[in-house]
This record gives sequence, C-alpha cells and structure tokens, in this order.
Amino acid sequence: MTFWQILQVLATGAGFTILVTAASMSAGLLIGLAAAMLSRIRWKPVQHLLVAFTFVFRGIPVLVLLFIVFFGLPSIGIRVPPFLSMVLTLGLISGAYLAEIFRGAMNSVNLDEILAAEAMGMTRAQGFLYIMLPQMFRFSIPGMINEFTSVLKYTPFAYTVGIPEIMKQAMSLTPMIMRGLEVYLAVGIIYFVIYKLCLMCFTALEKRYRIPGLSAD
Amino acid sequence: MALIEVNNLVKQFDDKIVLKEVNLALDEGQVKVIMGPSGCGKSTLLRCLNLLDPPTSGRIVFKGEEITRPGVDVRKLRQSIGFVFQNFALYRHLTVLDNVTLALKKIKKMTARKATEKASYELERVGMFEHRDKYPAQLSGGQKQRAAIVRALAMDPAVLFLDEPTSSLDPQMSREVVSVINKLYLDNVTMFCVTHDAFLAKYISDSVVFMDEGVILAEEIAERLFYDHPDPRIRQFYLGVIDMK
Repeated sequence: MTFWQILQVLATGAGFTILVTAASMSAGLLIGLAAAMLSRIRWKPVQHLLVAFTFVFRGIPVLVLLFIVFFGLPSIGIRVPPFLSMVLTLGLISGAYLAEIFRGAMNSVNLDEILAAEAMGMTRAQGFLYIMLPQMFRFSIPGMINEFTSVLKYTPFAYTVGIPEIMKQAMSLTPMIMRGLEVYLAVGIIYFVIYKLCLMCFTALEKRYRIPGLSAD
Repeated sequence: MALIEVNNLVKQFDDKIVLKEVNLALDEGQVKVIMGPSGCGKSTLLRCLNLLDPPTSGRIVFKGEEITRPGVDVRKLRQSIGFVFQNFALYRHLTVLDNVTLALKKIKKMTARKATEKASYELERVGMFEHRDKYPAQLSGGQKQRAAIVRALAMDPAVLFLDEPTSSLDPQMSREVVSVINKLYLDNVTMFCVTHDAFLAKYISDSVVFMDEGVILAEEIAERLFYDHPDPRIRQFYLGVIDMK
C-alpha cells in the first residue's frame, strides 16, 4: 500500500471530521451568542448562572464531558447518539469560550452608536440587530478562528464513540498494514490540509468584513 | 404656537437635581443656542426633550402634544427630532452613505433606491457626497460631524438638536461644521444647539439661552448676552468673548 493510497483511505473519514467540526462550531456559536446576549441582563441569578456555565464548560476536559454524555447519561435513561454526543460536548465547551469572546467584542462596541440609533427612533432590538451584532461579529472573527482551530483539533475524540472520522479510519488501518508511522503522519497531513483550507476561508471572511480605517488593512 | 414648549422641567439623578423648573419655548424656524458652564444641565435638557433621559417632573409639549404624559409613542417622537452628538456616534461598520440610509430603510421603510437618492441629496447639501463610500474611521472630525448632521437631517425632522457639535474639533474643522450649521440656519431649519462655542452661537442663533446650575439665567440675542451683560455670572463667563467683537 503506497502512502498515497493510505491518504485516500483516511480521507474517507475527512467528511465526518468536517461534519463534526461544522456542526459543533455552529452549536458553539449559537450557545456562545445566547450566553453573551444573556450577559447583558443585569439580573443576578442570570449572571450567576452564566458564570457557572462558563466555569464548568471551560474547566471540564472534552473527553470527560463526552463520556458523561455518551456513556453516563444512558444510566439515567437518556440515550444520546454518537454524533449528537460529540456535537453537544464540543458545542457546550466551545460555546463557553465563544461566550467570552462575544462578550468582549460587545464591550468594544461604542454604546453611543446604539444611543444614536435609539435617538433616531430605532427600537432596542433594531439597535442590537443593525449596530451591535454586525460590529460584535467583526470584532469576534480572530477569536472565532482560534476557537474553530480548537474544535477541529478535538474532533479525533469522536473515534471513542464510534464516529468513522479520520482517526477511526487510522485506528482500523494501522493493525492491518502495520505501518503506524506513515498512517498517523498521513492523519496529520489531512488535518493540516483541512485546517489550511478552513483558515483560508476565515481569512477571506475577515478581510471581507474588516472595517476600513479601524483595523489594520 | 411654539413647536416645543417646556414648563417647569425638573430632572433629578439620585439626589442631584440637574434641571430646576426650566421653562423654555422654541418656535418653528427658530434657532436657540443653550450655553453655560460645564455641568450646568445643558446636555441633560436636550436629552430630556427627546426623552433619552425621562424628566423627573414638568411638562414638555411638542407640536401641540404633551410628550411627558404616560403612554406617549417615544419612537415616533424621536423620528421627528434629529439628534447630533458631540462625539459623532457614527456607525463604525457602515459607510457614510449606509450611515444615512440605515434609518431611512429600517424606520421610514424607504426602498434602498429611494433611501440612497434622499441620502445623496442631503450629502450633496453639506459637501459630503464625494465621501459617501468612506467609513467613519477614514474621515476627519469635521467630516464625521457633517456626516452625523446629514444622518439626522435625512429623516426630515421637525427640529434638529445639536449637542456640542464643535467641541471635539480643532478650529479648522470647527469652522467647517459651523459653516454647515449656518447654512441650515439660513435654510430655516429649526434647531436647539448646546455649545460652549461663542463663535458658533453668534453665527447660528436667533437667541442664546444661558444656564447655570440647572436654571435659565437669561435669554437674549447673542450680542446682548456676550457683551456687558448686567448679570455678573454671565459677564464673567463671556469675558474672553469680548475679543471677538
């Protein structure tokens, strides 16, 4: 089996890796955005809940949370399928990090702009939608790229719950051909290619939404 | 009937009374400048008038309707009052054109084409049309303030509030903005302007209201207020202005 053929076999799992990454990142974005929006509410119980949320999910290792969801929850009668377990785990963890990124970005938005919008007759929701959100999104892009990288690098844990992603393919292939070095080197190369392609997309996105004159061109 | 009529307006923040029984009126087509020492309540007065800061007590009548009564449509009221801020408050992620068209599209529900036409006309009016595709961070202070004025004007407000429009500008940029506001004055745009800038006050005002510690001390035409006023507090405030004569 040539190195190229090894790459081809492993690449069959790349689809799952990308799918897990995209789904987990989307879940993380939604959870992070919801948490960041809730952080604007100055009601103490909500604040305590958010602090607990970020503390717990930023502190817990991915594998531990994944095992709690996949192997632990069935003992109380909640059976979560492998793909959903992985997405839920990574979504909650990246959501906790993204919440902080979004919160910081929201604080960078000049509140006078929101006030100006309200002074013109916009509702608070319109001010949020047309002024706060677009700027927050732009200021968050570098942080989102970092978070995306982390999520991508955590996807190999998916093999532990039986998702046939790249790592799972590698684990199956290695005992068959007994060439571990080449197989795992190929895994690294595939991850690097996925990372590079996604980074190119993100860089293009960042360039597209850069605010001229405000950030370095 | 006055366009805006203020009766016994009081504004209190915690235990500090910022406005003490203020009475004031503004007629259509009139330009009034509010001056006074820092912290005397000028900007608070302006913000109370469009309910950005709700008054503690008193009565404000706008176009014959009392706006201090409960249940008033605040959003509708604000659409009739253009507000220009000291620090411009332009939306940083939008071009000058988009800054102007946003409210036209989202509040006035104009089509993109109509909003662009309206914005272009207003930008042309203050010499900002050539900068329409620039972002706020690419503009000078004077250009930013002119864009902010256009953003407010494009909504066709009944009155324009200007909160220290030249205070964060250098003298040259300040002149740019004064010239634009003066043009609006000549076009009979109704304005309330809070400023420390005696030059601006002199060139755009029908009368100047002088406030100190939340109270209106005098309302006169600029010259009468600036030069040799009988009230020693006002005389003291305008000491340097005499050189402008």
